Amino acid sequence: MTADRAISEVGPARAAAGRVLRAVGPYRPAQRWDVLPGGPHVFPGVAPRSLPTAQTLSAHLAELGPRPRGDRNLVDEVEALGLTGRGGGHFPAARKWRAVLDGVRTTHRTPVVVANGAEGEPASAKDLALLSTRPHLVLDGLVCAAEAVGAQDLVLWTHGGNHALHSVLVRALRERRAVLDEPAIRLVSAPDGYLSGETSALVRALSGGPALPQFGLAHATSVGVEGRPTLVHNVETLARVALVARAGAESAPRTSLVTVVTPGRRTVVEADEDASIEAALGAGGWPPGPPPQAVLVGGYGGSWLPWVAARPLSVNQLALRSAGASLGAGVLAPLPGDRCGLVETARVMRFLAGSSARQCGPCLFGLPALAGVVDALARGRAGRRDLRRLDRWTDEVSGRGGCHHPDGAVTLLRSALGVFTADSARHRRHLPCAGIGGAPLLPLPGWAPA
Amino acid sequence: MSGSTRRLVVDPVACDGVGMCAHLAPDLVRLDSWGYPIIARDPASPRDERQATRAAAGCPRRAMLVVQRRAGG
Repeated sequence: MTADRAISEVGPARAAAGRVLRAVGPYRPAQRWDVLPGGPHVFPGVAPRSLPTAQTLSAHLAELGPRPRGDRNLVDEVEALGLTGRGGGHFPAARKWRAVLDGVRTTHRTPVVVANGAEGEPASAKDLALLSTRPHLVLDGLVCAAEAVGAQDLVLWTHGGNHALHSVLVRALRERRAVLDEPAIRLVSAPDGYLSGETSALVRALSGGPALPQFGLAHATSVGVEGRPTLVHNVETLARVALVARAGAESAPRTSLVTVVTPGRRTVVEADEDASIEAALGAGGWPPGPPPQAVLVGGYGGSWLPWVAARPLSVNQLALRSAGASLGAGVLAPLPGDRCGLVETARVMRFLAGSSARQCGPCLFGLPALAGVVDALARGRAGRRDLRRLDRWTDEVSGRGGCHHPDGAVTLLRSALGVFTADSARHRRHLPCAGIGGAPLLPLPGWAPA
Repeated sequence: MSGSTRRLVVDPVACDGVGMCAHLAPDLVRLDSWGYPIIARDPASPRDERQATRAAAGCPRRAMLVVQRRAGG
């Protein structure tokens, strides 16, 4: 295991130099974002590097034609495409639909279908980009999915804090209600938290509870909102359903929406499934010249990969999984040569510990403890004992929450300890690290503008 | 293979780390660094079964569950 390798290099604990943390300072949140069209599929007609506006219903219908009805054939088409959940889990969509159909048969209750646009990941902007440019593509997919599983209850779940997005969606729903004959779609505002998009939290909130993850022996597909079978899909997944319904699995686009994080900016690109990470980063604004040290792949519950390993990998779940990573929520964050991966990881670990729902012991106590050790490591204050603890605590926290929040944090931490071995050794000897000059890279909420 | 078809499951949301389960089922449950239960193994004997039942019944937070093991799981 990679963590063991890092830990075997522990040097003597000494008084901290404290220099490495100078890199952390006021940070301008990455509010700016671009959408770049990557093909004639999800983002057609969007001018490169422009702040996009939402496509109207008439423009949407003029471009793609009327929406076909969703039925059982659509389930087969979705299966033939091999469509997986783009919220981060990459669970096969067709299997979810079949589980909901089974749930309906066994419980004799009508199902609920939810489009999940609560993008809690601060580094990701793809769901925001999609909903703000192509709302009708997502809503088409939602209605198709509802028809395929026989649902009359349709919910669009997005962050209430984003007023601009909210008004785009209200306008889109009004347009549809005036023209189309389809079940009403309920727009529900999620709280702005990191975990609001977690399926069990969403189910709990839509059943009248708080938007916090819950424990259940049965999956939402059989016992979900108000105890009814519930199909929850990320908005990108549903946009792809709308394209499959029109074009069939054969000609549906095999692409992924990816957010490339560069200092102060998030850029959403549509990457072909065989495009390399290097190509996706280039499209997303990573300048030619010195390569990054490493790339954070997936998101804040994802993994750091060293540049040599990440560079040639294709931007699709199969290729990334074989490299021990996951496309997750589609985040690609290249780490410039003058930043410190440990300092960045320590910042994100603090954020993840603070974002816990404070419900389960492993998260409530384990994540702050882990964040504390990584922080000490980044400051050059970690001793041998701390590193032994780090090993034990990661094992104790992993897989033991009510949701996968602690698992993601442990994945991130283990990958950082594996990839930034040299930095970790330098920090322990109190030598200056490569990241001494750079400002923080990874966007987090609540950082004051510089 | 064990002879039992039941297993112990912790509801981590309900659990407050009281630690009663580790006293009542010492062969099946150990506690992590913060006093929260880790299921060490599934019940494999009548003695284990008794411990599992006692741990579930004795949890003041009703966070320890005995459930039927799923086929293939």
